[in-house]
Amino acid sequence: MSDERRPLLKVRDLTVTFGKGAHAVSAVAGVSFDIYEGETLGLVGESGCGKSTTGKALMKILTPSSGTVELDGVDITHQRGRALRHARTRMQMIFQDPISSLNPRRRVRGIVAEPLDAWKTVTGEQRDRLVDELLNQVGIDPEVYGDRYARQFSGGQCQRISIARALAMRPQFLICDEVVSALDVSVQAQILNLLEDLKAEYGLTLLFIAHDLAVVKNISDRVAVMYLGRIGEIGPSEVLYEAPAHPYTKFLLGAALEADPESATTGAVLEGEPPSPLDPPSGCRFRSRCPYATERCAIEEPVLTEVAPGHQVACHFPFIAQ
Amino acid sequence: MSERLLEVTDLRTTFRTVTGSVPAVGGVSFDLKANETLGIVGESGSGKTVLARTIMGLQPRTNVEVTGSVLLNGHQVVGASERTMRTMWATEVAMVFQDPMTSLNPVMRIGRQIDETLRVRLGMDRRAAHDRALELLTMVGIPSAQSRYRAYPTELSGGMRQRVVIATALACSPKLLIADEPTTGLDVTIQAQILNLLDSLKQQLSMSVILITHDLGVVATRASRIIVMYAGRIVEMGDTRDIFYHHRMPYTRALLESSPKVTNTPHTRLAVIPGRPPNLSTPHPGCPFAPRCAYATERCHVEAPTLVAASAPGHRFACWNPLTETDHPEAR
Repeated sequence: MSDERRPLLKVRDLTVTFGKGAHAVSAVAGVSFDIYEGETLGLVGESGCGKSTTGKALMKILTPSSGTVELDGVDITHQRGRALRHARTRMQMIFQDPISSLNPRRRVRGIVAEPLDAWKTVTGEQRDRLVDELLNQVGIDPEVYGDRYARQFSGGQCQRISIARALAMRPQFLICDEVVSALDVSVQAQILNLLEDLKAEYGLTLLFIAHDLAVVKNISDRVAVMYLGRIGEIGPSEVLYEAPAHPYTKFLLGAALEADPESATTGAVLEGEPPSPLDPPSGCRFRSRCPYATERCAIEEPVLTEVAPGHQVACHFPFIAQ
Repeated sequence: MSERLLEVTDLRTTFRTVTGSVPAVGGVSFDLKANETLGIVGESGSGKTVLARTIMGLQPRTNVEVTGSVLLNGHQVVGASERTMRTMWATEVAMVFQDPMTSLNPVMRIGRQIDETLRVRLGMDRRAAHDRALELLTMVGIPSAQSRYRAYPTELSGGMRQRVVIATALACSPKLLIADEPTTGLDVTIQAQILNLLDSLKQQLSMSVILITHDLGVVATRASRIIVMYAGRIVEMGDTRDIFYHHRMPYTRALLESSPKVTNTPHTRLAVIPGRPPNLSTPHPGCPFAPRCAYATERCHVEAPTLVAASAPGHRFACWNPLTETDHPEAR
């Protein structure tokens, strides 16, 4: 289906390990996926499953312990110094807490201009024009708010400023890590619509990391589901939401609350909590909570296998429509 | 119809600050029946938490003015001394807060924290309190309660901590449990577990629950009635189905439409409420939602609407230009 599209980002067997020896935790344990140019890939999972770590490893904020990340055909995993700085202008990340991602004692214009100043790619006059243009695009009036301090803004406005700053270098690839989870629904809708607009305008490719399944469905072309450092299922959003093949995806969707009194609450609730990544279960990592688990699941780790075009599942007993 | 457990009449909570007074709760009236679950929905700053804390009698005495009446099982809460409130906390009303880590003492074993309530409030001896605490831990679904009894809060996950907080709240079998965003910050699968737990405990202990949340999904299937708050006032209240399918207040609709739905196709354009919630310290004579409302007329900006009855019993809304029944494409 999407084979003819060009992958902008190729992630192969990415592993991020914290600590050493007996205390080593693989927060991301061998994750492979592609992000095609111009698409939005949603990354969902519960806290501690490694979604944010994956995002940070792609940006090389964290150094992967193994695996490769290719941006536009260039392996950036082993880049350092100037080459890495260059690669980073093409990818940007926006974080969950908009207020703490901005320096409260700096003025809005200065915050947005920072990447431009660091790279000195534009002249002073161009810089000022560009900053005002960026602020206008994210819905912050530079005439009124440009010289205010970051601390004077609400969460939604801070998130807009973060977005403007991220777009200053005209990146190709944007990682959004839980960017709307701290916002009220009405503000959340404003930011989601803004991201869609800017994506079209800048031709962006997005990795949208979030725990809210409804938000992810609304913005993503494809969705990947993570559990305990691994991808359990990846596929086109509508397919994955309508016919989840992995038991975990099914439970996750069953637990999502619909703002509708007639929505069924009878869906089976997943018991227990994710096990510690310090000591993941043998074989399939989900088996300790999976009601369908058999002996085979304890021995053999399932690998991502294509069950339909573009739809991959890592499960020995996936739900497949007959 | 069963008896009224809680009657709130024209409740106002005003904070005095250096920049002026802030009416965080501005004249709220409602009641709650025994064994009922009431949802209170609103965005941050809408006054839902202040309302809950006022009902609990938790507002500090300095720089806070509380007027109106809160009758809880026949006891007046407004103006009651802390000594009087102490006799009501835990046995009449208890509260579960959003962040379980800050509601628990980090340097006290969780079992002791439950014991404490039982020994102080019910005068149980050490042994009886210990046994009852274990019972409570088991009741809220904490596996191997015996060993968890000696755990510190930091040794537990967020979901487990919230279960401990619920166990503490329920220790003295309160008649009313106020749960303020009890599942915010928890993962969806854990959220479902906690909400199911609250539901079954409510049945088991036949208590009333006030469920405060910003997430309409949380109350959609759990509450029998819903109150929608905006800028410290009730803008609409009614049976859950009326609020979802026959709402009359444009804010309720905007809230429903701006939340993304799992059934939406990817890249669905979300309805947006322009602007931001009002600043309560600058009083506005009209409807607080008027500056953001697509239906606002001149009257809305000068005169505040009061709650009026809709066709369904118990359904009330505050709006000069309410939506009509035909405005509801999703009505069933």
